[in-house]
Amino acid sequence: MGRIRGFAVAGAAVAALAVAGCGSSGTGGGGTIIRGTTDQPVSYDPAGAYDLPSYDVVYAVYQNLLTIPAGGNKPVPEAAQSCDFTDKTTYKCTLQSGDKFSDGTSLDSKDVKFSFDRNVKIASPTGASSLLTNLKSTSAPNPQTVVFNLKAPDATFPFVLTAASFAIVPADGPNAYPADKLQPSTKAVGSGRYTLASFKPGQQTVLEKNPKYSGADPAKNDRVFIQYFNTSSALKLAVQQGDVDIAYRSLTPTDLKSLQGASGVNIVAGTGTEIRYLVFNLGLQPGSSDAQKMAVRQAVAQTIDRQAIANRVYEGTVTPLYSMVPKGLQYADEAFKTQYGASPDVAAAKKTLQQAGVKTPVPLEVWWTPSHYGPSSGDEYAEIKHELDASGLFNVTLKSTEWNQYSTAAFTNKYPEFQLGWFPDYPDADDYTASFYAKTSFLNIGYDNPTMDKLLAQEKASTDSSVRAKDFAQIQKIGAQDAPTIPIWQGKQVAAVRNGISGVQETFDPSFIFRYWLITKG
Amino acid sequence: MSRQGSSLRTYLLTRVALAVPTVLILLTMVFLLMRVAPGNPIQAALGGHVSQKQIAIRSHRAGYDRPILEQYGDYLKGAVTGHLGTTLTDHRTIGNIIVENGSATLELAIAAFAIALAVGIPIGISAGRWRDTPVDIGGRLFGIVIYAAPVFFTGFLAQLLFGTALGWLPTSGRVGPITEFELSKPTHFYLIDSLVTGNWSAFSDVVLHLILPALTLGLLISGVIIRLVRVNMLQTMKGDYVEAARARGIRERRVVIHHAFRNALVPVVTVAGLQFATLLGGAILTEQTFNWPGIGAELVRYLNNRDYIAVQGIVTVFAIAVVVVSVLIDIINAFVDPRVRY
Repeated sequence: MGRIRGFAVAGAAVAALAVAGCGSSGTGGGGTIIRGTTDQPVSYDPAGAYDLPSYDVVYAVYQNLLTIPAGGNKPVPEAAQSCDFTDKTTYKCTLQSGDKFSDGTSLDSKDVKFSFDRNVKIASPTGASSLLTNLKSTSAPNPQTVVFNLKAPDATFPFVLTAASFAIVPADGPNAYPADKLQPSTKAVGSGRYTLASFKPGQQTVLEKNPKYSGADPAKNDRVFIQYFNTSSALKLAVQQGDVDIAYRSLTPTDLKSLQGASGVNIVAGTGTEIRYLVFNLGLQPGSSDAQKMAVRQAVAQTIDRQAIANRVYEGTVTPLYSMVPKGLQYADEAFKTQYGASPDVAAAKKTLQQAGVKTPVPLEVWWTPSHYGPSSGDEYAEIKHELDASGLFNVTLKSTEWNQYSTAAFTNKYPEFQLGWFPDYPDADDYTASFYAKTSFLNIGYDNPTMDKLLAQEKASTDSSVRAKDFAQIQKIGAQDAPTIPIWQGKQVAAVRNGISGVQETFDPSFIFRYWLITKG
Repeated sequence: MSRQGSSLRTYLLTRVALAVPTVLILLTMVFLLMRVAPGNPIQAALGGHVSQKQIAIRSHRAGYDRPILEQYGDYLKGAVTGHLGTTLTDHRTIGNIIVENGSATLELAIAAFAIALAVGIPIGISAGRWRDTPVDIGGRLFGIVIYAAPVFFTGFLAQLLFGTALGWLPTSGRVGPITEFELSKPTHFYLIDSLVTGNWSAFSDVVLHLILPALTLGLLISGVIIRLVRVNMLQTMKGDYVEAARARGIRERRVVIHHAFRNALVPVVTVAGLQFATLLGGAILTEQTFNWPGIGAELVRYLNNRDYIAVQGIVTVFAIAVVVVSVLIDIINAFVDPRVRY
């Protein structure tokens, strides 16, 4: 009897805890948004940030001179009132008046100069100071004016200014940032829509609406919790149970599919500019002459069925990609579709190889990594192997290794063909072309086309959009013909959100800025 | 008596002295393994995005290309002085990781261990007392199955049942987001913190979050304890003193608990103590499954990012913790069991 009573008391206690706990562990109410993510930030000091999860918070806490508005693809003023080139290598910005950091200190041009100077000086190993290699100097002739002197003409500079790495930090006041080292992430202070209320690495970031924000579009919510998860399955359970309002980056295609019918959960998708592509090392790939090598690459481009990969492997969460410049960006042009068609054409591929005198089946050693580009990479490359082998034109051997080894070997002439992916540094076509097609590309695959280099230099130097449009059309056309890289797919930005959450769709655009301030609940 | 006391002192000093080379070997192995493995934090983070030349420049700035002996010297110096450095990938001090994530692991380990003892000891005693009866077979079977089931599998089933299907318990984290933000944390042990501050709603939130991971991990450990207690009970139940106690007409319950179980406890304490030490490291899978912000989950994350400083720091603390617990167990054994020779 005593034991039965004991169990009853224990049961009642758990029930009472469950009831009491519901109040505190739920998703909160009013203007509180809870986002779950598997992405961990590196630094909330802009000078140390060069990764999406850090950028998400930096964009919320700080302001940049320029930003990409929701749904847009061109820079517009944020902390600046206006910015323009005064000559080919001088870019001048006039600041908004009355801007303040969240601690009440005024924001003026010396803060902007300080932010850029310290970024270059610190040159943090985790930061993006390498994007400022074309910046000769920054000056602040008066409190409202900043002048950037460039080493060479650069039409992409306004886009560079939109990157979170170049947000404005306080040069003085109670929370002045150090000039020669990073500010701890827990002490981030900016002039953005939110203040950083708390940061516990690996667990939680809390943002609170900044009452001193004087911009035109303040946050529509009062508080944002960002909860970090170790695995996508834990994140999926959390959104399913209502522990988080938004599950974004990264749920697997399988998780997303299973959430599609879940009660109280909606799947929201928007344009993304994350891409995946196949790379050929021109020195190591099959073919006994340049013409034969090009024919092999073209035949692969003609044989791969991108739609099948998007449907079978990624459950429709990605779309086929027919240019290295993804759709949604200005100047994107589906050159591979024009060159080779939208669907695989094995007969054309066979003809290409025959005309170049390439003996079939062509042996291809294709490398991929299971630890960097998501859990579906294995399926993706199994599908690619299946498609190429089934054509009878290729004999593919798949090889894989962990990212830490892969990320060195791929760029030091070890792999003949290999998988890669790309996130934008800034949402301009230059970032998707010069990065891959320039002779000095990080890919280090031996691709060297003087016409391409000339076009790339031309588009970078020109601020005339009609000139750039012409250049990019030509660049993408040559890229498709030479095919040193073959675009495979373009990712959508996909989130699972609870009923009553709105604004997520609006922030999904090619800039990849997650605008917490647009999100509302209820 | 004094000769025995001196001998005990010698034994304890020897045991403590042996711990030093043990820790040193562990630290050296971790240091070397991290250097032998390909890649570094910069390569892991920026490879595939910037050129190898840029990566080399950044790696140089971060000091990864310094002579290995110089790095080793700095590492040992840091380990001895307690300055284990700042992580390379998210700029945290190792001390901060130990305090915040270590407390989470310790809280989980203590709760799981309590469950393991609460489940394992009664089942073990019953199985030993009623040998070859359905109670014994059931207990053994339970012990084997619960120990053989992978913790992530058991955990996932528990999440699906109690979290998703029934909605009774939270499935991830140490506490809800709002409690995490609002709870004052003087000790970083959330159960204690919520009690000390009288925050009852936080206390219930902490308990609810603790139930599933602690139960999953505790039941796993109970499998070992069941078998251990059972085997030792079988031996002690055959002892003359048990027969003598029965002959004196002492009640069977008292014979089992006071005479048989007490004597069976010495080896159980040893193994259970070691189990607790391994729990600190072995909780990694449970932490991963339940998104528990423990030190094991952090270790995995830093390992994937090739964060030398973080991995070295965490493993150093792990190594010292395990060695200290082992030494403590030896010392306790030396005091409680006169058969221990030193």
